Amino acid sequence: VNTETIERIEQVVGSLLESDVSLAADTRPGDVPGWDSLANVNILFAVEEEFGIQFRDADLAPFATVGELARRVDAARA
Amino acid sequence: VSEPQLTDAAAAATAGSPELEELVALAALNEVPDPSLCLRIARVAFQHGDTDDAYRWLKRVVDKPTPFRVWVSAAAALASFAEQTRPSAARALRVALAGSYTTSQLVSLLRLAAFRRRLDLEVYESGFDRYNQELLDPGSDLYAFAPDYVIIAPHEGAVAFEPLTADVDGAVAEEASRWTSLWDAIRRNSGAEIIQHNFVIRPETSWGHLAARVPGARDEMLRSLNSLLAEAAGENVLIVDCDRLAAALGKDRWFDDRYWHLSKQAVALATLPELARHTAAVVAGAAGLSSKCIVLDLDNTLWGGVVAEDGLEGIQLGAGPEGEAYVAFQEYLLALRTRGILLAVASKNNDADAREPFERHPDTRLRLSDFAAFVANWDDKPTSLQFLAKTLNIGLDSLVFVDDNPAERELIRRVLPEVEVPVLPPSPSGFVRALSDTLLFEAPRLTEDDLGRSEQYRSLAAANTLAARSSSLEEYYASLSMKALVAPFDELSLPRVAQLVGKTNQLNLTTRRHSPSDLAAFMTDDQYITLTLRLRDRFGDHGLVGVLIAREHGEFFEIDTLLLSCRVIGRTVERELLKHLCEAALSRGVHRLRGVYLPTEKNAVARDVFGNLGFDEVEEHGGKIVWEYDISARGIVTSEFINSWSEHGND
Repeated sequence: VNTETIERIEQVVGSLLESDVSLAADTRPGDVPGWDSLANVNILFAVEEEFGIQFRDADLAPFATVGELARRVDAARA
Repeated sequence: VSEPQLTDAAAAATAGSPELEELVALAALNEVPDPSLCLRIARVAFQHGDTDDAYRWLKRVVDKPTPFRVWVSAAAALASFAEQTRPSAARALRVALAGSYTTSQLVSLLRLAAFRRRLDLEVYESGFDRYNQELLDPGSDLYAFAPDYVIIAPHEGAVAFEPLTADVDGAVAEEASRWTSLWDAIRRNSGAEIIQHNFVIRPETSWGHLAARVPGARDEMLRSLNSLLAEAAGENVLIVDCDRLAAALGKDRWFDDRYWHLSKQAVALATLPELARHTAAVVAGAAGLSSKCIVLDLDNTLWGGVVAEDGLEGIQLGAGPEGEAYVAFQEYLLALRTRGILLAVASKNNDADAREPFERHPDTRLRLSDFAAFVANWDDKPTSLQFLAKTLNIGLDSLVFVDDNPAERELIRRVLPEVEVPVLPPSPSGFVRALSDTLLFEAPRLTEDDLGRSEQYRSLAAANTLAARSSSLEEYYASLSMKALVAPFDELSLPRVAQLVGKTNQLNLTTRRHSPSDLAAFMTDDQYITLTLRLRDRFGDHGLVGVLIAREHGEFFEIDTLLLSCRVIGRTVERELLKHLCEAALSRGVHRLRGVYLPTEKNAVARDVFGNLGFDEVEEHGGKIVWEYDISARGIVTSEFINSWSEHGND
């Protein structure tokens, strides 16, 4: 997994949740305080803006870990 | 002239924090600093206990263009700041939002957008798609919240129209009454003002362009529903015209169905900040926080160039793409003025220089009488603005300062932070949009003045109907209420005359491209009669649209040039010019006119002009036609559809 992608996701999430978060590839959204289903929608769109991408419909579905989200981002950028 | 006292609060507050100082210095490099940077400064300032500063920088995040993620972050910052220290605001209001889709994001963005407009909002959000129940139930949490405003925010999918309906009027009326009965319920259960989002018609349709002709098609019914609700709203319900907003932003952006399918977001997150900003503007207008007065710079703001240096003839106003853009901006300001927005001038100029264009320039739309106050001197602008606020007896926070000069704008922002200072784009054609996009002039309802004018609108509408019915050309001409001002060339009209002589192709009898210096020479040569014609009708002022040059040859005047701008062809304007030529010729003891038509590839429309005016053809050779007109035998050419217009009158 691309660590630079994870770092940028970390910044986006930290800014949206108004807190310092530390994300790794195996971080689960449920483990991050404030990362609920509403925040997740904002995070998905904010990530699209940050990377200038549009997720495919299927890639908007729930993901288990931040690493999986990062892989979807990288796939959309490729 | 003394320099104003710079009360640079930002600089003072950053003392002792190198990080903050560095960030503020970085932000100072741009007139519109990066919104993420503003947000960062706000956070750092708040950590240092500089609460006022933190809130001030937070407001700057909202000034476009700001991406969704920065808006959401800033909204989160606002919420967390406010938990510790309430912001100071002009008004604190309680707002209930009752929507048919996921409105959580809208709620937090609305709070931020309203804060930008000096409102401290507490917002209640109805349960997802529970707007009906909560608005109809007197015991609901929504009413327990005791809102000052209730915002009904449905999406188009909340309307149950079939793809095609037979009983159109019945179905639309029934749907409208579903919404008006919600309004009635709100009135029964609370004293809140009601704000209704109208329905955004989707960009795609199964009907194609046929839909426009099928009243029972779903999209057309939504259009009718919007109209019916607007009518029912009258004075009492405020409407946010979402359909117009979505169209302005682009409906393909407004609808992002991926997020509808994901989590019932009916408005794309990319455009949601604008919906929040527009809704907040309507709330601010209703709360009496709209701006009341526009303070205008003059040079390069209301015309191009510097009047004291370039002279009245040298400034750009009318004639040409830049000059026309300034005219359009003046017309927009005039429209705001007729709505009751005050206009004032703050200019660094000699008073006489500053006033002259409004008194004498042929293309000025604004007149001195349009300004509530006029300050032209060599004081700094903050001093002038303070003077204006005092003179007009309004607060500095009611002023909008419009100046092309970024340095002046920055000075006002620093010294008088209460004043709104929109950024103007480099080209004047963008001024109207820049001012309109501030959303500072929302009014909750028409004023008495507006109502008086609406009588005029009604009579105009009646006249329009007449014109639409008029079957003959004569009735059409008469319905236009045309007025013309015919005058010899002068220094002010010369640039426009040169422009028309240089470019007019169609209604141009001879297409002689005289140089500006030749035209200036005709003006002072006794052998020549020179005429310009400005035309007004009930739709507005067309400006200088006709030119005639005639030269004396003993017993007759020969029409060297006769041209009309293409926008006034076919309105009998040439008759008015010829009428004045006849009068001028007679006054010089000349009784005959000679006209020449020289054909070109583009001026066929001019071929019969003289014939239609009653001239006799005396010679034709290779397409060139010579015509004559005997004034003593035929009389002065008549012009029955055009009245004269006095130069200083506003009739």
